[in-house]
Amino acid sequence: MAMQFSDTTFLACLVTSILPILSFGLIMIFTRENPKLSLAISLTASTIPLILAWGLLYKYWGIQEPLVYNLRWLYSDIVKIPFGFLLDPTSLLMLTIVATVSWLVQVYSIGYMGGDPGFGRFYAFLSLFAFSMLTLSISSGLLQLYICWELVGLASYLLIGFWYEKFSASEAGKKAFVVTRFGDVGFFMGLAFLTIYYGNLEIQQVNSAAVAQAMPAWLITTAALLIFCGVMGKSAQFPIHVWLPDAMEGPTPVSALLHSATMVAAGVYLIARIYPFFSASPEAMTVALAIGTITLLLSSTIGMVASDIKQVWAYSTVSQLGFMIMGLAAGSFFAGYYHLTTHAAFKALLFLCSGVFIHHFGTNDFFIMAANGARKLKIPMVTITIAALALAGIFPLAGFFSKEGILGALAHLDNKIWLFAGLFGAFLTAYYSFRVIFVMLFPREPIFQIAAAHSHAEEAHGSHGHGHGHEHEEEHGVPWVMNLPLLILAFFTLTLGFLQGALEQFLTGHAGHHEISIPLLVSAVGAALAGIGLAWLDWGAKNAKCVGFLSRVPALENFFIQKWYMDHFWRWFLNTFIYGLFSKWFTYNDRRVVDGGVDAVAFSTVGSGRYLSRYQTALLQVNLLFMVLVMAGVGLYLVMGR
Amino acid sequence: MYNNLQTFLLLAALLFAIGLYGVLARRSLIAVLISVELMLNAASINFMAFNRFLIPEPAVGQIITLFIMAVAAAEAAIALSIIIAVYRKLKSINVEHVNELRG
Repeated sequence: MAMQFSDTTFLACLVTSILPILSFGLIMIFTRENPKLSLAISLTASTIPLILAWGLLYKYWGIQEPLVYNLRWLYSDIVKIPFGFLLDPTSLLMLTIVATVSWLVQVYSIGYMGGDPGFGRFYAFLSLFAFSMLTLSISSGLLQLYICWELVGLASYLLIGFWYEKFSASEAGKKAFVVTRFGDVGFFMGLAFLTIYYGNLEIQQVNSAAVAQAMPAWLITTAALLIFCGVMGKSAQFPIHVWLPDAMEGPTPVSALLHSATMVAAGVYLIARIYPFFSASPEAMTVALAIGTITLLLSSTIGMVASDIKQVWAYSTVSQLGFMIMGLAAGSFFAGYYHLTTHAAFKALLFLCSGVFIHHFGTNDFFIMAANGARKLKIPMVTITIAALALAGIFPLAGFFSKEGILGALAHLDNKIWLFAGLFGAFLTAYYSFRVIFVMLFPREPIFQIAAAHSHAEEAHGSHGHGHGHEHEEEHGVPWVMNLPLLILAFFTLTLGFLQGALEQFLTGHAGHHEISIPLLVSAVGAALAGIGLAWLDWGAKNAKCVGFLSRVPALENFFIQKWYMDHFWRWFLNTFIYGLFSKWFTYNDRRVVDGGVDAVAFSTVGSGRYLSRYQTALLQVNLLFMVLVMAGVGLYLVMGR
Repeated sequence: MYNNLQTFLLLAALLFAIGLYGVLARRSLIAVLISVELMLNAASINFMAFNRFLIPEPAVGQIITLFIMAVAAAEAAIALSIIIAVYRKLKSINVEHVNELRG
């Protein structure tokens, strides 16, 4: 290691990952009560990694051989577990995405969180998140990745429950933590399988062909599926996606950073990271494809009926994550990863724009925002429209290219049902995103009635805005610190699409041969345009009734409003199996076996002590006599007995 | 004619037996302490005797005896202070009165 400290690349990696955790410690211990100083520390500790990350990406653009810095932590004949940094195109790109979005969100939060009593704490948590996510992306070993994975989970828990005085927020934090842990148990077991049967957790070794020789196919499938459990938890895939929509209880910048752009993408990143390993098991890939598809369809349909703007984007995130996993599982590493990249830009943009509206109007309900004149906020309105266009996949925005990539990968599969599911998902995506846009952009007469009804309901409910007191009701206009990130992200949303070729060259090492299939292109754009058109008819047109087309089928609409009854299912599952079965029996076991065992030991100790204490006669000389006699007996035995 | 190993071993055994009797039978703590010293001296005599008659190297037994003397001195100091403490608490140095820890 000593030699490596003179290596600038290693130093850059080290500084990138260490600075944010230092900032977390400093703020939590010393400067939590001082917002200005905390902000300065945290911004420094995110700006330097930002510069270093872009510098590394620039320096190693076109890198052929991965760069590895390993600290041999636990090495023996049968187990090899490293800690360190692995720089290859996959990790460099993720590092840059994370550093960029996290810096933008930190800047944005200056405006959004200004005046919050927990300002310092907020920045400390953001730093903790930055540390874990940056280190996760350049981990050289799976154990290190797993540790960071859990740390991002912790940061997510802390940030969702940031306004912990609010019961729903602390509940949502707990739910996120417990549900993702549910998947992580699988991840950990997968790692254990790998360690036992393969014994090498270096990412490059896991990705090498040696795995297939060391482990039989069924073991690889088992390990891959177990690791995929972790992916399902972190990337909110069906059926354990239920935590992500609730996670929107956190401050909006957090939703943008953690719960759309970076942290939830960690699951997809993990698949991309050990993509050759996953590819070694076609069964696991098929399961992933099916789960991604279900997730895509399920969450897009729920997004069609939500009236909370963050809920819409949350379900959209879930569905796009499903879409990425579909792309990866369909065999196209680049398509999935590229969609992750573009999604990070436009989904962060969507959330940050929504944050501006939420901050401004003190509500999460976009009908109320529309009624109060959301369209008057020019920059956010324009950028949110750009982001929604990208989400819907309209040329020439980023989303168009990445969606094309995934649909192209799906079209290569023998079974065309995946392609149709993908196209249907694209249609639904366009519909729900433009439902929001049209309502906010062209508030028609019925919108005002809906808004009035919603605000009555909100007042009756007593929830006013999302924890964010808007005491400065009069002082309006959006501060530049909030507009700047929007503009930068909008820039990326507009340009990332044209970098497809360069990125593909960088990530996969060879430029893709794009035979553009016209029917596919037409059907993809057609699906998106059909979605937008339907949204226009339902919500945007002059005499639109402003009810979703779904309301013609009330049963289906209700099914979607109830979120496919997934929350009910888990509640039932918890009550029946966890509380009713496991908890009951474990409680019984605890009371009777564990407690009983301890009690038995204690009682027998007391009882025997009470009995034996009778021999403590306090007759010193009698005791001595016995001692002498015993010694004499032993002596006699030793001398003559044998 | 008595200058041989057996004489000294007998003497030591006699001394040890007297000491043991004193430890087991006397009621006064001081007497018990004196008896313990007797037993220690018996052991010392054994060492010296074996050294004198069986082992050509002259110093070994003497060194051990010197050790025993030092230990005995320390032991006597501690034991006497314990006896004083017992006396202050119980106003007695009878072994049979020291029975507060009876089970």
